[in-house]
Amino acid sequence: MAGAIIENMSTKKLCIVGGILLIFQVIAFLVGGLIAPSPTTAMHYMSIKCVDVRKNHHKTKWLMPWGPNQCERIRDLDEAMSRQIEANDIVFAVHIPLPAKEMSPWFQFILVILQLDIAFKKNNEIKDNAEVTLDVSLAYRDDMFSEWKEMAHAIETRKLKCSFASPKTIEHEGRHYDCDALHFMEIGTVAHKFYLLNIRLPVNERKLINVGIGEIKDVRLVSIHQNGGFTKVWFAMKTFLTPSIFIIMVWYWRRITMMTRAPVLLEKVIFALGISMTFINIPVEWFSIGFDWTWMLLFGDIRQGIFYAMLLSFWIIFCGEHMMDQNERNHLSGYWKQVGPIAVGAFCLFIFDMCERGVQLKNPFYSIWTTDVGTELAMAFIIVAGICLCLYFLFLCFMVFQVFRNISGKQSSLPAMSKARRLHYEGLIFRFKFLMLITLACAAMTIIFFIVSQVTEGHWKWGDFTVQGNSAFFTGIYGMWNLYVFALMFLYAPSHKNYGEDQSNGDLGVSSGEELQLTTTITHVDGPTEVYKLARKEAQE
Amino acid sequence: MTGTRLLLTVALLCSCTQLLADANSWWSLAMNPVQRPEMYIIGAQPVCSQLPGLSPGQRKLCQLYQEHMVYIGEGAKNAIKECQYQFRQRRWNCSTVDNTSVFGRVMKIGSRETAFTYAVSAAGVVNAISRACREGELSTCGCSRTARPKDLPRDWLWGGCGDNVEYGYRFAKEFVDAREREKNYAKGSEEQARTLMNLQNNEAGRRAVYKLADVACKCHGVSGSCSLKTCWLQLADFRKVGDLLKEKYDSAAAMRISRKGKLELVNNRFNSPTQEDLVYIDPSPDYCLRNETTGSLGTQGRLCNKTSEGMDGCELMCCGRGYDQFKSIQVERCHCKFHWCCFVKCKKCTEIVDQYVCK
Repeated sequence: MAGAIIENMSTKKLCIVGGILLIFQVIAFLVGGLIAPSPTTAMHYMSIKCVDVRKNHHKTKWLMPWGPNQCERIRDLDEAMSRQIEANDIVFAVHIPLPAKEMSPWFQFILVILQLDIAFKKNNEIKDNAEVTLDVSLAYRDDMFSEWKEMAHAIETRKLKCSFASPKTIEHEGRHYDCDALHFMEIGTVAHKFYLLNIRLPVNERKLINVGIGEIKDVRLVSIHQNGGFTKVWFAMKTFLTPSIFIIMVWYWRRITMMTRAPVLLEKVIFALGISMTFINIPVEWFSIGFDWTWMLLFGDIRQGIFYAMLLSFWIIFCGEHMMDQNERNHLSGYWKQVGPIAVGAFCLFIFDMCERGVQLKNPFYSIWTTDVGTELAMAFIIVAGICLCLYFLFLCFMVFQVFRNISGKQSSLPAMSKARRLHYEGLIFRFKFLMLITLACAAMTIIFFIVSQVTEGHWKWGDFTVQGNSAFFTGIYGMWNLYVFALMFLYAPSHKNYGEDQSNGDLGVSSGEELQLTTTITHVDGPTEVYKLARKEAQE
Repeated sequence: MTGTRLLLTVALLCSCTQLLADANSWWSLAMNPVQRPEMYIIGAQPVCSQLPGLSPGQRKLCQLYQEHMVYIGEGAKNAIKECQYQFRQRRWNCSTVDNTSVFGRVMKIGSRETAFTYAVSAAGVVNAISRACREGELSTCGCSRTARPKDLPRDWLWGGCGDNVEYGYRFAKEFVDAREREKNYAKGSEEQARTLMNLQNNEAGRRAVYKLADVACKCHGVSGSCSLKTCWLQLADFRKVGDLLKEKYDSAAAMRISRKGKLELVNNRFNSPTQEDLVYIDPSPDYCLRNETTGSLGTQGRLCNKTSEGMDGCELMCCGRGYDQFKSIQVERCHCKFHWCCFVKCKKCTEIVDQYVCK
């Protein structure tokens, strides 16, 4: 009778394996902390106020904020007032990036946030529930001299959420409102070098469009993109991890198919976990450097979702298969109560993501959060997913509790058992406790690093030496879960070693009920061994 | 009458040419419109030598960073506007006197008011330069920790560029402090005390901008979760900077120079000022009466508030000299219809108000 490798391995070897994994873990952190720059950069842009003079001369449609073909600009909107320029003729132009720089596919995505500087005027306050309507268009080009090509055009509304800190008296006129930043745009690939945004705020008094939004002083944008350096380090890591996980996966499956019996559920789940990890690891992002694949962000989300769902299912099934009670499971259908919530939750998040990022493939300015119905819908999906997650954790905690209860029950009766059974149970308990321990350690690490990265500034300086905390968090945690899956497949693969010769001479005259349990729990029986046959016989009697 | 006045001015001018020449300041960039760099021929650098009020060090910086000058001027202009807003109800109301020394001879005195003016104008420069960065007006901005244009594309690609506010801060420090740094006075001298005071107040102004800039963040991980969070500094409304500096003005610390050449508190019981605090070395002159030597303009002819008990009240503002009352017709715009820009349709409402003017 063969157990998993972890049971049959000597403590010394186990320590060596643990040490090697730990070294890789430390390397994963160091790669992020020392080599990679911070994961993302935010760039500010103050939009240039252009006057659209197209009515007079037929120039190009696009207004450039600076450079050789720059638009006719005004310094501030008071100047527009004195020159009697209408609001509809003012175009806020922003060129991404700033002069003398160019964007690159290595930036992976651009996320743009809009901030409005609105001055308080006693007569011209922001009305309640004010909405601003933006007529936005996005263009691109790949060299400084060619024509701009339109990429997207949309008319979008955004809710203004502004507050005014000082009392609303004449005294404080001219102070700015504190307005929440608005989601503006998101594109999933940076295939072009230069981008140009033209934003208009058309006024239509009859339809109440852009009326009662206060006196806008400036339109500012913040663009966020992934840093090229981080992308390179990330890709390198993925490229390194893919074959490592893939090889151990193949090895694991070979081990299983070499056995005479069919693989049990737990073995299949571990294998599936390996597949989903490989699926995340495969560095398809390399293609985003050469191709304009806008769906990369969405694809990345889906891949992560599949992995999380797989990981959660694995935990449940692992607990269930180590329950050490009479129930025969070994089937996914036996876990519908626990896996159901995972499926529902994952499906909800998938629908939500499709509604947000999926639609953004068509219209980069779209966001589900900008409309009331959309917000409610999005909230509904997220709440359902949240409930599912809570439900799942309740089940998981209950199962873990049950396992521990059974373990303590079994432990007291261990000395009275036959050697084969004792070894079997000891193996089960050890396997369970070991996985429990590393899972908890990994989860705790993830949570702690997540909190630290949220709270702190994300980088620490010692003299000339900067450690990028956020990058270390990403590479470290990513490396950690890879190592987790790696270790799982390596240590929980069936072992070739036997417990020893004396198993057959062990006293097997035990009650049928107890023996039956041996057959229900996994990975222990390499084909119909003596114990198995005996147990069957006795059970039939 | 005019003759004697003229004579007096001439005499004054003669005796103080030395002083006056020294009183020139970069603040004058606010008064003389700086031409935009694209208007000059490249290579010719008459701009910097023509600009009045720059010290040699600042002139050098001007030559290196010509495009920055417009924004320094703008920053100074904003700063003066803010100063005048903050001091609109005080006896000294931050009024500008001429185009070269800007605030006149009052700035020769190391008073609280001088401290505030230095701080607010340094803050104005940080603000304006950071803003210009965002507009993409400055070619050296963002990525330039030091001037290294060769590495720039690589830097930008690898790790993005530094923050604009940081750049604004560093440039303002270089430029504004240049004037004080290039002078070398004997340890413990009056002039050294003044230099130290200016440096401290400039720093306090710059830090006020930095301190008030708040960190804004955006979550954008998987499905918009917070697994990825990007933060950036966001400049506060300049009025808030003015408010903060006004508070610092009210709690400014009186200092004197020690023999070691360091500023120390006059009154040891107080806490010593931090880098964010304003300091002064001279008591404020009497701003009530016009005084040619101190440069005080006096409060004669200033509007005051009859009912107020504060500094803007007629009692305090007019320094007990009394006030004249007159009626004036104020035309106000009312029942207005606005657009977010450029369109205002108002009715005119007239109102007769009593106004009071200091004797």
